[in-house]
Amino acid sequence: MYDKSLPFEATIKWIKKESRDTITYSLGINNKEIHSAYSFRPGQFNMLYIPGIGESPISISSSPSDHDLTHTVRIAGDVTTAISKLNEGDILGIRGPMGNGWPIEEIEDRNLIIIAGGLGIAPLRSVIRHMRATSKKSKTGSQDSTCGKGIILYGAKSPKDILFRDEFPGYRDTFEVQLTVDKADPEEYWRGEVGLITELINKVSFNPLTTVAFVCGPEVMMQAVTKELLLRGVPGEKIFITMERNMNCGIGICGHCFFGPKFTCKDGPVFRYTDIEEFFSIKEL
Amino acid sequence: MDTIKIKKTSLKSIFDVISKSHRIIGPKIENDVLILTEAGFEDIPSGYKELQKPGQYRMTKDAGDEIFSFSLGPDSFKRFFHPPLKELFGFKKTTKAISANRILKKEMPIALIGVRACDISAIKLYDRIFLEGPVKDSIYDSLRKDALIIGVNCLRPGDNCFCSSMGAGPQIKDNFDIAVTELKDGLIIETGSAAGKKIMEELPFEKITEADMREKEAVSENCKRLIKKSVRSEELPWLIYKNLEHPRWSDIARRDLECGNCTQVCPTCFCNSTYDYMQLSGVVNKSSEISGVRVMKWDSCFSKNFARVHGGNFRPSRRARFRQWMSHKLAYTFEQFGLTGCVGCGRCITWCPAGIDITQELEALRKQ
Repeated sequence: MYDKSLPFEATIKWIKKESRDTITYSLGINNKEIHSAYSFRPGQFNMLYIPGIGESPISISSSPSDHDLTHTVRIAGDVTTAISKLNEGDILGIRGPMGNGWPIEEIEDRNLIIIAGGLGIAPLRSVIRHMRATSKKSKTGSQDSTCGKGIILYGAKSPKDILFRDEFPGYRDTFEVQLTVDKADPEEYWRGEVGLITELINKVSFNPLTTVAFVCGPEVMMQAVTKELLLRGVPGEKIFITMERNMNCGIGICGHCFFGPKFTCKDGPVFRYTDIEEFFSIKEL
Repeated sequence: MDTIKIKKTSLKSIFDVISKSHRIIGPKIENDVLILTEAGFEDIPSGYKELQKPGQYRMTKDAGDEIFSFSLGPDSFKRFFHPPLKELFGFKKTTKAISANRILKKEMPIALIGVRACDISAIKLYDRIFLEGPVKDSIYDSLRKDALIIGVNCLRPGDNCFCSSMGAGPQIKDNFDIAVTELKDGLIIETGSAAGKKIMEELPFEKITEADMREKEAVSENCKRLIKKSVRSEELPWLIYKNLEHPRWSDIARRDLECGNCTQVCPTCFCNSTYDYMQLSGVVNKSSEISGVRVMKWDSCFSKNFARVHGGNFRPSRRARFRQWMSHKLAYTFEQFGLTGCVGCGRCITWCPAGIDITQELEALRKQ
């Protein structure tokens, strides 16, 4: 195993602009040994490092079965701004993968409902692509899969802010996809929903008792979504949410990412709702 | 565990034996404060005693002729195992390559002399944090691995001590190489490791009597009796969890100066931040080539930006930051590492310029 406390080199293979402030980078690990030892689970993240500027935790937006290793970055701080100035062929540092990732094993024999807000779709895209890859494989095997279609509910500020918009039509073969925006641009034709994502939950049909929910987005959105899911009858143990905190080291030794007694970087960022329920509604924890 | 008795004057021979293989860090008085630094046998401030109150610290010399008459200064082992500033790796970036190389310094291992039971409990927690996480901290490991812990059982508690309430003292039980107990006419030496045993074998010892062993037990018993402060720790962490929205937090926030002294002197506070230090000489040729070092620096949860992320701060209020610190000490670490995050050394009480007393604040949370 390589040392996760030392950054290793990666080259930017291609860059895709997703929205006005969000860009996807496909990275190739240069060192052959690390490249072959590197493996991750959907929902894990890497620390992207620009020497002289610093590190930023960025979740992996591709699935382990994808050919590319992609990171979808919102330009927000010093590090992400520095990343945005890089071109194809440029290099940066990576440490990872960090965190626990989504509990893929929970999906087995249950219906998956994915609920994402804004950039929260990035770590969930990894799950979506993983599910598609594995369900394609299983189709050649047994045909009597009792699992219904998965559901994707995704909300963004405006149609222009919808990330991976071109990919959703393709996902409809394995998922029921519902998109919503806070505000539709008058200039653009928009036939999706307008309104809060919580309202979307009531528009799709699923059996709450056989559902497992993966939720990622801003904390207020996740609070509203969890409340709605619980009202619908989804058991708290089957709701998984991701917490965002200031992750500085990624390996549980810096103390920046505490969420109550949890280290977001090593115990999370994905948490079972019932494990953090008592802290979820406490402000400024 | 082996036990022997040596003459008080033979303590110097422990220093002599250890100094062959280790750099000795021991207690010494500098500027009227007890600190830990490279010290010899003659530096031990025998006969000195601190007067400690919330926000007060004074050194006096009237404590009789005992060797280990003093208790705790602001310093702890933490500065030596988890330095305030440590270089993680050196980096170099050109347009074609990025390299990060661990800076490994071969230094003589240290021997900490005079470590008290509370700090030994804190070392146990540090080992969990830095050695048993998802990634072993190789710098901590290199400083800790061959280090010797020479503990001393307290004769008298400091005025702000409450280790017995936290189950961290006053008697040293494990996690040491050698433990010293001072009797009226000698020193009892116990060994807790193979390295400790090796040192013991080189000491000139004398016969140990049953009376000596009784006296040794009485030392800790007596010390425990003299401890003035206490907390009802059996209700932790529950007491904190039930009171995360208690009005007392706002009350503390009004007195708190957010200087971060408590986090600096606390032997269990480990929080840090990492930065890139660029060397001016490292920027060559239109900055296409840069070099520098990535350093880890002590930080504090009282820093305003400690929980900041892009677009917001998770703990913008002082109330929340103080709550984070105290909850981490008294509740979260139990869950995280199965150990107490507060060892009851009382340093945060002594060195708080506002005199905030963690034992009293905990007591206040109990009242509605």
